[in-house]
Amino acid sequence: MSEYRLKTPLDREDIDKLRIGDVVYLDGEIITTAGFPTHQRIMDAIARSEEPPINLKGAVFLHMGSCNIDTPDGVVTEYVNPTTSTRFNAFMPTLVRHFGFTAVGGKGGMDQSCVDALQETGCVYFSMIGGAAPLLTEGVKRLVETGWDDLITQFRLSRFEVENFGPLMVAIDAHGHSRYADLTKAATDKLSEIKRKLREGRQASTS
Amino acid sequence: MRQLPVTYEMMKSTTRDLYEWSLKKIPEDSKVALRSALDAETEDAPKKALGFMLRSAERAETEDTLLCSDSGVPTYSVKIGTGVEFGGDIKQAIVDGFADLVETIEPPILKFVTNPLTGERSYRGKDMPIVSWDIISGADYIDVTCAPKALGGGRWAALEIFSYPTLDEIEGWIMDMVVRAGSQHCPPVTIGIGIGGSFDHAAKLAKQQTLRPFGTPNPEPILADMEKRLLEAVNSTGFGPMGTGGVTTALGVHIDYASGHGFTPVAIAFNCWINRRTRAKIYNSGEVERIE
Ligand code: SF4
Repeated sequence: MSEYRLKTPLDREDIDKLRIGDVVYLDGEIITTAGFPTHQRIMDAIARSEEPPINLKGAVFLHMGSCNIDTPDGVVTEYVNPTTSTRFNAFMPTLVRHFGFTAVGGKGGMDQSCVDALQETGCVYFSMIGGAAPLLTEGVKRLVETGWDDLITQFRLSRFEVENFGPLMVAIDAHGHSRYADLTKAATDKLSEIKRKLREGRQASTS
Repeated sequence: MRQLPVTYEMMKSTTRDLYEWSLKKIPEDSKVALRSALDAETEDAPKKALGFMLRSAERAETEDTLLCSDSGVPTYSVKIGTGVEFGGDIKQAIVDGFADLVETIEPPILKFVTNPLTGERSYRGKDMPIVSWDIISGADYIDVTCAPKALGGGRWAALEIFSYPTLDEIEGWIMDMVVRAGSQHCPPVTIGIGIGGSFDHAAKLAKQQTLRPFGTPNPEPILADMEKRLLEAVNSTGFGPMGTGGVTTALGVHIDYASGHGFTPVAIAFNCWINRRTRAKIYNSGEVERIE
């Protein structure tokens, strides 16, 4: 397990060396949204051969909400934090392939069709800790721009400048490995054994 | 002491404050449990994840900020002593307390109250805040617990109705639900389980059990055994803190039961690692006691 400090745009070499369990801190730029409607709009834009309001090519695209407040000195980002990625499973393979994302992320992982898309295009999935807003927010320097401002704050496409942004834990790599798939398989394989032990424990405590 | 009514203002400010505290501070017993989980883990990844969690909790508390951007929706459990006198509309006070929180909390919270029919998001909505009401015989206070529910913690709760189930069936189903949830609910979680009663009652028991502090003994020996057994079983699934693997998927399994008919509802609910849970008592004397 290694720890890296990487700069965006991420290149293929950066991505290929990342392994499950590695911890990454990012410098550069990230694009975020926590919105289902946002993903639908991106899909619509692709279908109509239009560009979304923010350039997503090669981006680090994170399922993340943010709270940004207008002040006399400009926009202040109060906090950022990941949201569950699995609910975007249906969109992500198309988005990853179309825009050639170099990294995606959020929490809870993504399904096999996404893992395949990441492997095919060379992209990793970063898991962030739900409830680590104080740590993640520290790495956010500035909200650079937002798109689809008619949506609520956390759903807007938001481009941030970041410095030492993390911790980001590699949970799906670019080589077809997914921590989520591995853990679910291991737990499912063990389940009947776990149930047998429960039964034995019960018998021991009642006898 | 002179008896004063519990006023609208007291109820409003207490429910408002309980919500704010729950967003910025994890319970003391959670800190203890997370620290001992950190000691119990041997692998690098789960150790790191737990370390990040403890650091985040400490930072949120000292910097008076939110642990998580998903502030959830407000849910309260309100238990009213039969000796309590009301000095106003305490039901409306909870609605207004939430409105006040939305306007005044720093940093601000985002919109999460969702209309399920239209998908529209707001700071208010039908039946919001969600409140369960109970009566405490003979008490001269109102006991209020606030436990806002967010997507990760709320999504994986489940309920199944069995007919004359064995404990084997019940425990088996619980484990199926644990594996189904995987690490989606930001583990290590608190698991609450309700067995028996009726459809709604089992769910209520499960929810209440997620709010029981770690280490409090279960007075029912069959359930005390079951809690121990299931905690071990859940932690042998190997999902671990935030899905990093390891031996800490849950910090506690808490179970309650109710008598019922031969149809037996079994409900399971989860609280994520930040374990939002705050509680206060409002006395007839006018005193507000913050319990956690
Ligand atoms: S489950 Fe809890 S810690 Fe995870 S994102 Fe939701 S509120 Fe935050």
